[in-house]
Order: sequence, then structure tokens, then C-alpha cells
Amino acid sequence: MTSRLVIAEEPSAGPKKVTELANNLEAELARLIVGQKELLRDTVIALISGGHILLEGVPGLGKTMLVRSLGQALDLTFSRIQFTPDLMPADIVGTNIIREDSGRREFDYQPGPIFAGLVLADEVNRATPKTQSALLEAMQERTVTVGTETRALPVPFFVLATQNPIELEGTYPLPEAQLDRFFFKALVPFPSETELLEIARRTTGNALPELHVIGDADAIVAAQRVAREVPIAEHVLRYAARLVTATHPNRTELDSVRRYVRYGASPRGLQTLVLAGKVRALLEGRYNVAFDDLTAVAHPALRHRVFLQFEAEADAITTDQIIDEILEHAKKESPGS
Amino acid sequence: MTSLESVVRALRGSDARSSALSYLVHAALGVAIWFGTLQVAARVVPVERRIQLAALGVPVVLAAVAIAWIARRPRPDVLIQVADVRLGLKERLSTAWERRAANGVMDDLLRQDALQHALRDRLVRAFPIRISRREAVGVVIVAAAALALAVLPNPMDRLLAQAQADRASQAKAASTIHDVQKKIAAATKTAPVDSKVQKILSDTAKQIQDAKDPLQALEAISPAEQQLRQLSDPQTPARTSTTQNLAGALSTTNAGKAASVALSSSPSQGAQAVRNLAAQLPSLSPEERVQLAKALAGAAQSAKDPAMAASLQRASDALSSGDLAAASAALNDLAGQLDSLQDQQNNDQQIASAINGLEAARQALAEQADRDAAGSNPATAGSGASPAAGASPAGGNGNGNANGNGNGNDSGSGYGNGGSGGTGSSGSGSGTGTAAKPSEKLYVPGQPVPGQQENDPTPLGPGQDVPLTPYTQVIQSYQQAALDATNQSLIPGSERDLVREYFARLGE
Repeated sequence: MTSRLVIAEEPSAGPKKVTELANNLEAELARLIVGQKELLRDTVIALISGGHILLEGVPGLGKTMLVRSLGQALDLTFSRIQFTPDLMPADIVGTNIIREDSGRREFDYQPGPIFAGLVLADEVNRATPKTQSALLEAMQERTVTVGTETRALPVPFFVLATQNPIELEGTYPLPEAQLDRFFFKALVPFPSETELLEIARRTTGNALPELHVIGDADAIVAAQRVAREVPIAEHVLRYAARLVTATHPNRTELDSVRRYVRYGASPRGLQTLVLAGKVRALLEGRYNVAFDDLTAVAHPALRHRVFLQFEAEADAITTDQIIDEILEHAKKESPGS
Repeated sequence: MTSLESVVRALRGSDARSSALSYLVHAALGVAIWFGTLQVAARVVPVERRIQLAALGVPVVLAAVAIAWIARRPRPDVLIQVADVRLGLKERLSTAWERRAANGVMDDLLRQDALQHALRDRLVRAFPIRISRREAVGVVIVAAAALALAVLPNPMDRLLAQAQADRASQAKAASTIHDVQKKIAAATKTAPVDSKVQKILSDTAKQIQDAKDPLQALEAISPAEQQLRQLSDPQTPARTSTTQNLAGALSTTNAGKAASVALSSSPSQGAQAVRNLAAQLPSLSPEERVQLAKALAGAAQSAKDPAMAASLQRASDALSSGDLAAASAALNDLAGQLDSLQDQQNNDQQIASAINGLEAARQALAEQADRDAAGSNPATAGSGASPAAGASPAGGNGNGNANGNGNGNDSGSGYGNGGSGGTGSSGSGSGTGTAAKPSEKLYVPGQPVPGQQENDPTPLGPGQDVPLTPYTQVIQSYQQAALDATNQSLIPGSERDLVREYFARLGE
């Protein structure tokens, strides 16, 4: 943490400042993370939206590196929790311990690792549901209650949870209701050959690039406020609602949705679409939400909120394919098409 | 471009131009479809005034399209949304337009950004002027088909011409009847039945005009003639005959010569002369009275009218007995009967005029009905094979009834110009009372001869090309038909006697 940019010192940042902050952050992260532009964009959007992100990818793709880099670039307190089956809720949220002082015993609260601006919940599906719930409740409420006392988590509070789509043995898949609490679910793809070569070049030398601090907590909070001010036109909002409605099998005319989808996205899905769309608009240098913004964030916003039937699994249909069809269908119905 | 309003105005103009062309093509397609449909319909059912109808469709289609064009002009927000998508403005314009009055943190920036991007793009590109190729091809194909249908011969044209001719003939027939009505109304001698005759003629003219074709119109004439005939007094011929006999009888007397002349002139003059004679009775010599009584007695004996016979007999008896007052009274009664006869003759004249008018109308309608029948079934018409052909009394002889009173046969008369066979269907012609010219078609009574079947071909005589019927088989029926025809009050009794005598001589 050696250098700071001016942006972080302007809490009342305007939209242009937010755009600059986001672009700089992306650029800074890209110095360390090879490729994964979409992942970086999704992460930044989730951060400025004030949501949490679930990263899914096989081990070794740089998920942990991404979170750590983010912590460095934003000058936020960072903690990492490795989820294991024997991890207890108190290991996350902290616990009261008995402290003896001058012959007097009293409970003293020891905060858990969740008290950080940036929390990496690594392999979140390996912990028991009880422990998962402790984390997810904290994510939702942004407070922690231990004993009778409720303590607020730092602002901003940003959780990046990871899970491994393979090695499912001995894991506890996150229930639907808890998945819904993640703002985005981003897939971490395997890098291309060119990217692999670049990774090899960057990480096998003596020195790793050192990241600059792009912003701080205040800058992030200010950006979050600004993002919510981005206007969205009524017909664009209706388009977002149509997208969400179309994920419900009993409310759509799409055969694939009616056949393969068990449950559609919740109203949180719509909130996520709109908020993420606003942030993306800012990142694109615009002051309004466009159809393209909603289309671009539809996959990470909806893919963990659409639950498929067994038949879909049998036919190797993924939620991304379903969302693609919904987007294609909605595009035909938009004006001017 | 200074404001969002000016952007909207520019977009609206651009859209109006673009959609106007599109709607013009719609209109062209609509007109072509209208023409085509009309042409197809005109080949299925007769459509009169096709050109006017087709021309009428053009402004209707244009008006409908213009209304649709105006009614379907998009609202500004829709216009801007479409422009956003087509110009790739990422919903900048539509969001800015929606929030044009808002004062949020970013609204000013949003409006500036939207206007900058609108400036960069040519707004007309959002609504380019172009014609749908598919629609243009459709217009050409439909127009070509409609044109081809219009140019190719239409079988319905003949039916249309026939319908027009039918209407013309019906109008002509009605006009003929109206002329007769006017003539009757303008006659110097008024008859008691004038109003009834006028009503019958008016009703008939209306029925003829309302009839769907001449054949149906013809059906209105015979009942009208029947009604007119019923207005005539059946005793008129008997009285006329008695009057003539009286005139003949009085001509042989000195005192009754003047009355004889007057009676021969007209019943009304005769009535006046008889009154004068009654007044002169006292001044007559006894010889003259005897002579007059004998003449009156003779006339009474040959009188066919009972009332007149009684008056004549009373006058004769009174004179013979020297009762001049009673004789004068009887002669005055006779004068009153002669006045009545004058009225009846006036009636008959009006009735005869009306019937003549109806017959003229019948002639016009029958000719058109024949033309229609020939047009609709040329094979039948060409064969000339109606049931009465060759078997009717007047078949091929051209000797029509020349009395001019319309005394044709009402029912089923044939087409009597000498057909070659007797196997046709029932004829639809009607009898006419006009004198026949040698080359004119003649309508004559068409009942089959008693004992002869309609489909029973009559054998041809050697070397002859017309069917012959033995004389003895037909004379009775011909006689009956002729007497039936003459048994009308319109025909004087002397004329009827001539007919009776003719057939009596033939029977001998």
C-alpha cells in the first residue's frame, strides 16, 4: 500500500469519477490477473453495487488471487476464511471469551474474520449448512449478533465466496434461498493458451507486480451512492421485469423455460439486474441504463436464481442456455427490432 | 439541435415521410386488391357500373389508408425508443425524454449526453425511406391480374345487357300504359268507369316496373285485362243490337225516319229523337200511329234486351189502343234506356282503349321475353318447338285477329310461326289482338286440340314440311275458340254473328 490516487480522496464523487475509479480498478487488477476480463468486470460491478459475489471455478484459476488483489487495490481490510466441514459459526462471526482482569472475570468479544471490508469465503460449500448460514446471515444483514449484542460489520462489506464445481463429495451445496443472497454468480473460465503463457511469464519470475491503491472504503461507498442515482427509463425497467418474468415456467411462452425450469428468479433477481445495469452504465460512461446493460449482467445476475429440473440436467441444459434464449426472445419484442 | 423537443420534431418528420411512402404502397396494394376483387366478383355475379364502382373504391381506400396513417402515428416516446434502438443510442434519448423535466443528480448530464449523441447521428437514418420489396411485388402482381381480368371477355356482360334490355322493355311497357292513362284522362267523353280504369292501369304499370323480368311483368297484364272486361256491362251488345233493329224498323215509317237516323248515329241522339217522337204522338195521323205501332212491335219482337223489348211492346200496344199518354211514357222509358246504353258504350270505349294499351305493353314485353329465352337457351329457341307450333289454329297462317281489341287467348298460347315439330315444352307466349303482317310472328291460342297429346307428333303429309291435322278433328274446337273469343261485349253482335255464320258454313 504505497501509493494512493486522488479519486479515493473525493467522497462526493460524481459519475465521471465513479467511471474513472471502476476503470482504474479494472486496469489495476488486470495487471495481476491475466485475462478474465468478464470476471473482473462482474466483480467490480458487484463491489460498486454493494452486493456479494459467488465465484465458481475449478481450483487454480486465480480466484483467491483476484480477491487478494482487490483488497490491495482498494485499501480495504481483507480476511480469508477457508471453509471446511468442521468450521463453526463462531469461527466466522467471532465469540465471547472469558477474560480475567484483576480477579474479575468478564466476557470479552473476539471478532471473527468476517469483520473485514473484503472477505474471501473460500470453498464455501465445504462448510456445514449451519456455518454457511452464519456467513450468509451476516452477508444479508451486514450485522453480527453474538450473545445479546449486535455488531455492525464494516462498510463497505464485500464477500467473495468461491466454490468448486467438481469434487462435490463431502460438500454441502448452498440452498436456493441462500444462493439468492449473492448479488452475482460469476463463472471463472479456464484461461486460453495465450493467457496461460502470460500467467506463466508473470508468476514464475522473481517479482510480482505491485498494485497501487485505487480507492478506499469511502470511495467505494460514494460510488455505491452515485450508482443508485443512474436513471433508468420506464420501458427499460419493463424489459428487466420481462426478463425476470420469463424465467418462470408458468409465466412464459418459451418452451425451453416451461420444460426445463423448476423455479424462476426472485424479485431480488430484478433488483440485481437493475442495480447491476446502473453500475455497468456508469462503467460504460453513460448516465442511463440501456438494454445492453441488462443483457450484459443477465447471466451473472440470474444464473444462480434460476433452478432447473432434472430433465435439464439429463439433456445437458444449463441455466446460461436458458437465459440466452430468454434474452433472444426479449430482443425480438423490444421496440425498433 | 438545441433541445429534446427539436429532436422529437425531427424524428416525427422523418417518420412521417417514411411511413407515408409505406402507406402509399399499402394504398396501391389496397386499390389493386379492390380492382381484382371487383373483377373476380363481376365474373361470378353480374355487376353493373363496374368502372364507377372501381373508381369509387380508390378514394375510399386512400381515405382509409390516410386515416390509418394519421391514427397510427407513433407517440413521441415510442418514436424516440425506436430511434434509440435503430441509431444505437443505448436508450439515451428515451431516458432523457422521459426525464426531461426531472432534476436528479444525473439528469442534466443525461440530457447533454443524449443531445450530443443525437447530434452525432443523422436522425433521418432512424426512419429511412424505403419500400418493402415483397409489398411492391405484391402490388404489381395483383394489379396485373386485375388488369388481365378486366381486359379478358366477361361472360356476365351478356347477362348485364339482357337485364338492361329487360328493364328498358318494362319501362317502355309502363310508359305505354301511362300514355293510355293520359289519353283516357284527356278524352272529351267521360265515362263512369274512368277512375276504375285509371286505377287498374296504374297498378298494372307499377307491377310491370317492379317485376324482376319481362316474363313476370307479362303475368300482370292478363289479370288487368280481366278486371277491365269485368267493368263492361254484358247487356251492351244486346241493347246495341236492339237499337240497330229499332233504327231499321223506324226507317220504314214516316214518323220515325228522323229517329231512325238519330239512332243509327248514336244512342244519345237516338234517345233525344225518341223523346221528340213521344212528344209528336198527338200530332200524328191515325195511319202514321198504326204504322209506328207496327214498327215498334216488330222491333220489340226482335229485341234481345228484355227491358227495351218491354218498353217497345208497351209503346206499340198503347199506340194501337189509342192511349197516347201511355205510348209517350213508354217511349220516354225507351229514351232513358238509350241514354244508359250511351254511357255503357262510352265505358266500353275507355275499356277498349285501356286493353289496347295493355296489349301494346304486352307486345313489347313478349318480344323481350322471347329475346331473353333465345339468349338463355339458343338450342330450344332455334328449334321453334313449342307445343302449339303447327297445331295451333293460327299456326303458320299469319291470319291474326284483326279486330284490334286485344282479344287474344290469355293462357298458354304458342309460338305460331310454323315450327317443325310438336315436342317442345309449354310455350310462354301470349295472344295479341293486333293485325298480323305477313312476316310478323303471331301469338295465337295455344291449347292442344282436343284428343291430341302435347308430345304426340303429328304426321306430315306427303311432300309437306308442316304437320297436318284432319279438318274434322279441329273444326269444332276452332269454332268454340272463335266464339269464346268473340263472346265479349266489346264486339258488336253483328260481327259475332258473322263469325258464327262463317263456321256454320264450314260445317256444312
